[in-house]
Amino acid sequence: MTTTSPVSATSRCCATPSLTRASSRSTTPAQPQRPPGVVAIVTQDDLDARGAPTRPPARTARVATLEWGVLAQGTVRFVGEPIVAVVAESRSSRDALELVEVVYDELPGVMGAVAALAPDAPLLYPEWGTNEFLHLAARSPGLDDALEHAPHVFTETFENHRIFALPLEGHGAQASFDGAFGRLQLIASSQQPHQLRTVVAEVCGLTEAAVRVVAPDMGGGFGNKQHFLREECLVSLLAMITGRSVRWSEDRTEALTASVHSRPQTHHVTVAHDDEGKVLALDVRVISDVGNPVLYFSGIGPSLVTVGALCGAYDIPEHGFELSCVATTTCPIGAYRGFGQPQAHFTTERVMDRIAQRTGIDPAEVRRRNLLPDAPRPFIAHGGARVDVGPLAPQLDQLLEEAGYSQWRERQAAARAEGRHVGIGLSSLVQGTSPTQWGVAGRFGSWETATVSVLPDGTVTVAVGTKSQGQGHETVFAQVAADALGIDRDQVVVREGDTDQVPYGMGTWGSRSAVMAGGAVLTAAGRVKEKMDRLGKEMHPDADHRAVAEEACWHTHRLVAGEEPGLTETAVYTPGGTIPVPNADGHTNFDETFGSHMTMIVVEVDPATGHVEVLDAVLVSDCGVMINPTLVEGQHVGGFAQGLGNVLHEEVRYSEEGQPLCATLLDYTPPLATDVPPLRIVHRETPSPTAGGFRGVGEATIISTPAAVAGAVEDALAPLGVAVTTTRLQPHHVRALVRATGWAPDPAAFAGFDGGRDSP
Amino acid sequence: MKPAPFDYLLATSVEEAVAALAADDDAKVIAGGQSLTPLLSLRLARPSVLVDVGRLPLTGITVDGDVLELGALVRHRTLESDALVAAEAPLLAVAAPHIGHPAIRARGTLGGSLAPADPAAELPAVLVALDAVVVVQGPGGRREVRAAELFEGYFTTALAPDELVVAVRVPRATDADRFAFEEWAPRHGDFATAGIALAASVGASGVHCGTGRRARGRRGALGPKKRSSPTPACSAPRAQTAARPQRRRGDRRSRGRCRPGPSSWACSRPVRSRRCSPQRRPRHDRRPRAPQRGRGSSAAAGAAPR
Repeated sequence: MTTTSPVSATSRCCATPSLTRASSRSTTPAQPQRPPGVVAIVTQDDLDARGAPTRPPARTARVATLEWGVLAQGTVRFVGEPIVAVVAESRSSRDALELVEVVYDELPGVMGAVAALAPDAPLLYPEWGTNEFLHLAARSPGLDDALEHAPHVFTETFENHRIFALPLEGHGAQASFDGAFGRLQLIASSQQPHQLRTVVAEVCGLTEAAVRVVAPDMGGGFGNKQHFLREECLVSLLAMITGRSVRWSEDRTEALTASVHSRPQTHHVTVAHDDEGKVLALDVRVISDVGNPVLYFSGIGPSLVTVGALCGAYDIPEHGFELSCVATTTCPIGAYRGFGQPQAHFTTERVMDRIAQRTGIDPAEVRRRNLLPDAPRPFIAHGGARVDVGPLAPQLDQLLEEAGYSQWRERQAAARAEGRHVGIGLSSLVQGTSPTQWGVAGRFGSWETATVSVLPDGTVTVAVGTKSQGQGHETVFAQVAADALGIDRDQVVVREGDTDQVPYGMGTWGSRSAVMAGGAVLTAAGRVKEKMDRLGKEMHPDADHRAVAEEACWHTHRLVAGEEPGLTETAVYTPGGTIPVPNADGHTNFDETFGSHMTMIVVEVDPATGHVEVLDAVLVSDCGVMINPTLVEGQHVGGFAQGLGNVLHEEVRYSEEGQPLCATLLDYTPPLATDVPPLRIVHRETPSPTAGGFRGVGEATIISTPAAVAGAVEDALAPLGVAVTTTRLQPHHVRALVRATGWAPDPAAFAGFDGGRDSP
Repeated sequence: MKPAPFDYLLATSVEEAVAALAADDDAKVIAGGQSLTPLLSLRLARPSVLVDVGRLPLTGITVDGDVLELGALVRHRTLESDALVAAEAPLLAVAAPHIGHPAIRARGTLGGSLAPADPAAELPAVLVALDAVVVVQGPGGRREVRAAELFEGYFTTALAPDELVVAVRVPRATDADRFAFEEWAPRHGDFATAGIALAASVGASGVHCGTGRRARGRRGALGPKKRSSPTPACSAPRAQTAARPQRRRGDRRSRGRCRPGPSSWACSRPVRSRRCSPQRRPRHDRRPRAPQRGRGSSAAAGAAPR
């Protein structure tokens, strides 16, 4: 690889405030002479002139044709879209970028997915004739009949707002090209190094074998780094063009405005239910904002997961959906921990609470009556999902017991008598994990490879194709291997992230790593253990692990006939349960296994300020066999914090014209440590049918928390008649809800004002 | 560099700094850098020259008659922790912990909080409530400006471009003085949605108040009030004293007057009260607690309070 000091590339060229979408007529350096330190200035025209295939092939069926380049060309479709790349020594690239002059003709912005579907809406891609990027619908045969004859039918609209995954450390990439060997090396902060390699190889016109992607330790990913950014491809191309090592690192403004956003969806729901609170039919029209959908694996993935998860933990006899993914003049929409499930879960849980309100039945009881039956297993859900979770009704009962549901109802009544607003929210989640993305939004999914080697001194290396972003793979896979081999965990070293050093794998996303890589490590280590046991029997009776390792590696002449030297096994693991395309029964199943998680959150709402305080939060979680309970709880606590952030703190806002209004952490305000109360966690362990009995756990609380908090806030404000239909519950939103009811603070409440003196 | 290129001058005297400001319209003062540095990094501020006043000898806190004089480079952390400030100007001490986070308070300075006149800043409101005097120095020498007259509105002051804040003079607190500072922010350290600084003197004549209000909302906002005046927060308390009005030191500075109030106001306790107005706090103290579980469970470890 080249040893020259890296040069920096800067690619963003922010439009002026009045220009959110524009066609760029010309993009030229203002000065004919390159400023000092500038190595190259590159536009898409330059990349096209190279003749290399810098455009990704279409991936997914049923979407509008979308051709796009690494850099915007002709038309800029959201603020922050890269237009021109400047390569320069050190950070003078930022100064040089200011010398680039882009001449724009302003075009109207396309804002809001619902508005963008209007017949007279301006078009983001006029060649489509619509802003609808994808349209998909499915209905169970008896749905119309059920809706027509049900005793009660209601309709409502629920909304999820736009948020951002906010990994502590943003994206970054450094590429170098070794012309002599024709090899490209890309160091990138990526959750899926092997699939990033596929994309980079395609864009750069190289074979996959000629590209090495190294994903080092990184500070968080949360799905944001599941995506392959244009800049990762760009620095690779620039390294080939300039012959230099080229580096790019995203700053916070770029991350907030131009990496990947998540979750904006509107659900128009039609629900049929009976007098007993049983849901008879659920029909959901999903309108999903996908931003400017220029992502290398498509941002429609979360929307497809949403429509597949709408029935959730409940047995709903008839159901249907109609999905529209709509392109708008905003940052692309894609993965964020939860991946479409939070939106579905929010709607499903709001529906359960609505039915409780309409029938007068306790919301916990409404949920119990609708839960998936406790047998058989797997339960073949409508549509084909193979739900393998433990019995749900006892889990719900355990939650109510552990959380003190009835006691909290008593406290709530007492608080209401005092004029205070305490509310209880519930969530019953069945979370699909370890999914396949074949045919959904990419071509990757449900298998994983692990290589386990016992070295001559008895220590062990494990190489897997997953990629930790800080969630402790080094610990859990070492534990799995050590348990299988019967040695100490500290004798095992786990390697991930370097495509030259680990077997081909699928990366880390979709709560898949423990199930998939854990299963592969378990299988490979089991094979090594079997072999070591065989070899040990041929040796003296007290031959220990290390002696067998030495025997297998060094004293190969003593091995019995047919026994191969060495102690390395590579195993491919797949549970094999997914059905990515409809089978003969018309079934599809995107998840290898499922976890079940019951959550109760109690809040007190201050109607005067809109502040929501969490008084209690309890989770009864079943993620199958826990490899490491501390890490499981870390996943739950982290997801809980992000879930609270989703509803109580965070929103990516745009002006009506499409100007981003959250460009710094001054405007995008995640919860701080002091804003996250303790989460009480109770574990159940129902082994899954997968190897090791693992179920996957990474996304449970980020899915359940917004729904439970919304239910709790609505319950708290029920005496005022407030209905919560949105995930927007920041103080000013809650104030608006309260204000709309005509409620005003009681002046008598201020009579006792003691001058601000704290009672001791 | 993330910022746009600029020249840098490390000032060795106030006169040198003022001369540099007078010589260049695009010069910008930097002290603790807590407001300016982010603007520089975002390239929203593009000064031609940064005049660094950080090494000037403006860090003193001294008693001068019935006035406490604080140098412009006194850090917020000092306001928070200094015994002399706590004794002589307690409102500064109770307001300071509301400013950002400890790392910000360790760098940010008194002068740096005043000169930008950010309506979300704590100290302008405090100085208006205290009817403090701000000492500024320009090419023509020093002059004193009442805080209420220094702040003309959003990010607008009566400072000339070539004037530097060098000190603040605050009337020393007496036994009769009472202070309060409250603000409401979604998270601690954020710019507050609303806040109030209140200084009152309780005497035979009743209560004399000076208030500084500030607010930053998504729509519309209030700057520091140019003149102190009674607000609902200070007039709401019912008369609890039969004492007769009497003049106090603050009166000659035209403090606003309000109706007689309780005779024993105390300084508000900062930070802990950030999530609710003082009116609501006693209620929160009575809020229901999580039920105590009598038996052990597998959750015990996971539910350990952090």
